[in-house]
Amino acid sequence: MESFANWLSGTELSLLIQSTLWVIPAVQCVHIIAIGVLFGSVLMIDLRVLGAVSADQPVSAVNRRFAPWFWTALCVLAATGILLTIGEPRRELLSFSFWAKMSLIAIGVLVALAFQWHLRSSRARWEGVSPASGGTKTIAVGVIVVWLLVIVMGRLIAFDPQFWGSLSGLYTG
Amino acid sequence: MDFYDIFVAIENSPIGTWVRNSSHGLPLINAAHIIAVAMVFGTIFVVDLRLLGLQARNRAFTRVASDLLKWTWAGFALAVVTGLLLFAANATTFYSNTQFWFKMGALALAGINMFVFEFLTIRNVEEWDTDATPPVAARISGLLSIGLWCTVIVFGRWIGYTKGWNFSAPSEIDLDNLFFGAITAIQNFQIA
Repeated sequence: MESFANWLSGTELSLLIQSTLWVIPAVQCVHIIAIGVLFGSVLMIDLRVLGAVSADQPVSAVNRRFAPWFWTALCVLAATGILLTIGEPRRELLSFSFWAKMSLIAIGVLVALAFQWHLRSSRARWEGVSPASGGTKTIAVGVIVVWLLVIVMGRLIAFDPQFWGSLSGLYTG
Repeated sequence: MDFYDIFVAIENSPIGTWVRNSSHGLPLINAAHIIAVAMVFGTIFVVDLRLLGLQARNRAFTRVASDLLKWTWAGFALAVVTGLLLFAANATTFYSNTQFWFKMGALALAGINMFVFEFLTIRNVEEWDTDATPPVAARISGLLSIGLWCTVIVFGRWIGYTKGWNFSAPSEIDLDNLFFGAITAIQNFQIA
């Protein structure tokens, strides 16, 4: 991974990002705004499953409203995230927080896909306003926690060796 | 005791000292601040889109607002607590950081926008509550809100690049003055 990170930081695009000072801060701003949109839509869908918001509307209606924002924000996050990684390959690819974050995103996206598939396959169940089962509610809480941890890990990239010590590939003792 | 002395006292307070010197506390407080930002922006954005008539057009505005604004306030409370802790850790650095004051200014403007909306615009809400497209005043409020909160986020992020925390910024760049530092760097580059 270290040799890949070193190769990537020598590529033309990476050098261009590195030499243009405002790119990283500007892309980070877009990244954070998209985090807000993604997390807002996660909250609204999962809090609806929990019955804490929009209890007068079926889960399917709330999902139709917010799922497009979730996927759009996810695409923006992937695009800006890739740019940030190309711009600072060692900082990202050698950090523990980065890989913890990627693993958590994989879980979050898989659960989101499974949920969308489930809404489609048992549409009738979710067109009403009857409360979700305990198991479904547990998953909803889990999903919120996963995305909270994604945000935490993302922020910890900046503090990786300080926070994780020798777990971090950037730790120098 | 003048204004600056207060900042010095805050920085030297036990809590400021603790946050500044903690290897795990500061990063976690910082992360919680980002979670708070995501909560505030993610939820207010939905309310603003409803005000602009772009989302949930068939749902009454007051319904959307009552669903979401409590989460906005919860996020805002978390942002204030974590923000104050981060501020206490480096109060004097923030005092001399222009981006910090711009961020506070943008926050104040977002607050004024909210007060105008909550005390004036919303007075006749029952007349337009269920309208797919709310009146101009409400739409302006929504647009200003999105713009101001984005500005707050941009300045917030910018602070990180101007107060000397950034480990990856090239050393020849004046960290306290990123914009002019960048211009100087470009000029030097062209001369060279």
